[in-house]
Amino acid sequence: MRRAIKSELFARVTLTLMRTFLVVESPGEEPEAWAASLDNDGNAFAVVFDMHRDRVYHHALRMTTNVHDAEEVVAAAFFELWRRRKSVRVVDGSVLPWLLVTATNLSRNLTRGIRRYRSLIASLPRATEMRSSEDVALESIEETRLATIVREAISTLARADAALIVLTTFEHYSPAQAAVALGITDGAARTRLHRARTRMAAALGTWEDDKNINATKETNR
Amino acid sequence: MSTKEMDPVFTAALREALVATVKDTPRVRRRWRWRVGTGTFLGVTLVAGGVALASGVFSLPGAPVNTPLGNVITATRTGTATIDIGTPPATATDVSLALTCLTAGWFYFPNGSSMNCDSADFTHAPPSDGPASEVVPLTAGVDTVTIKTSPNATWMLQAMYVNQVTTSWGVNASGETYGVANQNGTPDLVAVIINQGHTDGYVKENELNCAAGGDVASLAEAAAWDKTSQNRNITIPVYESDGVTVVGTFTVGNATGPNSKTVPLSSLSLGC
Repeated sequence: MRRAIKSELFARVTLTLMRTFLVVESPGEEPEAWAASLDNDGNAFAVVFDMHRDRVYHHALRMTTNVHDAEEVVAAAFFELWRRRKSVRVVDGSVLPWLLVTATNLSRNLTRGIRRYRSLIASLPRATEMRSSEDVALESIEETRLATIVREAISTLARADAALIVLTTFEHYSPAQAAVALGITDGAARTRLHRARTRMAAALGTWEDDKNINATKETNR
Repeated sequence: MSTKEMDPVFTAALREALVATVKDTPRVRRRWRWRVGTGTFLGVTLVAGGVALASGVFSLPGAPVNTPLGNVITATRTGTATIDIGTPPATATDVSLALTCLTAGWFYFPNGSSMNCDSADFTHAPPSDGPASEVVPLTAGVDTVTIKTSPNATWMLQAMYVNQVTTSWGVNASGETYGVANQNGTPDLVAVIINQGHTDGYVKENELNCAAGGDVASLAEAAAWDKTSQNRNITIPVYESDGVTVVGTFTVGNATGPNSKTVPLSSLSLGC
């Protein structure tokens, strides 16, 4: 019974986030734009940025506590895309999986991952002042709650496992595609994914248990 | 503003910074020879095994960030010529220049950097490796850019005023600074590219300095060093920014003759 409850919550979280963050897949011109980018065509790199910035930002919002951090993650992910362009793994002609994995890693270790670009990012102007996590909470309470659940659950996973969950569960990539993005075999991806999903469900279950405990405490007061 | 969308001002500025980063990242050119910087590496010619990254690289710590101001001025000339680039905006600090050679010849930027295009640059497709870029500081009261060339060399210049801000160096777990040399000096780990541009990394400033003969104490020692270096290149390790993980080697020197040899710094007793 407990297992069923966990699975139901996991599915609900997944479906809601998929619905919330689903965006259009990459247009077909990405391979050309990426190839031109590698030839130092800045405008072509801007095309890649325009294609994927929203998707990466939505993912970063899911993984961080405020929009300021999410924007920093996006900026750092794209600067990393350029810095590590020689070793970026392209999946079916797209660098998006690599960007999502990088954004996941950057979000999990904000200070260390973004330090390289902190001054540069700080020099970029903004339309608004930095806002607190409460001020910039996602549009609805439900989304905020789900984002918190997911963020905390993902934080319990190993780095590669977290990336697998992000790519397959939230971003619709197949285990085979995720395997390419992570540079591991299809079999290894499936094994790790099974383990990651189990741990994710366990983490969500712990969260549900804590919530029930807190609710009980409130009731008993 | 919806939190589902990035701050539009931030997004536009980030996009611009990325475009500038990509455009201004130097590429390794097989035929073009650059004199990089002045004094940064104590006059050493860094050509055999890689190219030390000069300022103007945006994506590395310590590199300047150039915000474009105004329009791009484009001019095509033959031989040495001076281009009027108009009155600089109030916030302009530098001029970003992109120089394309249209014929073979030598071409010199105002800051002394030069490039050499030979006939082979125009016989392959695409006909050239694209423009060479430099960012030069403004000189008060001077609204022109002069490009010097060898006789009858034809070129195209694109110029734009920019506002330049220098970023901070990174600091690794060992407390070493890493990035590119700038007006604040040289970091402990200096950014380099090797393997024909396929590998980015860092060399230790003290090892680079040692391999470059930076510890010579007299003109006599310097002369002796130069004589020895005629037939000797020295390799030093290239690290990740952690200063520990080795990703390749960087060669200091340009000895290419039949008697030349390349040896690792660790095999020498240079006293530095």
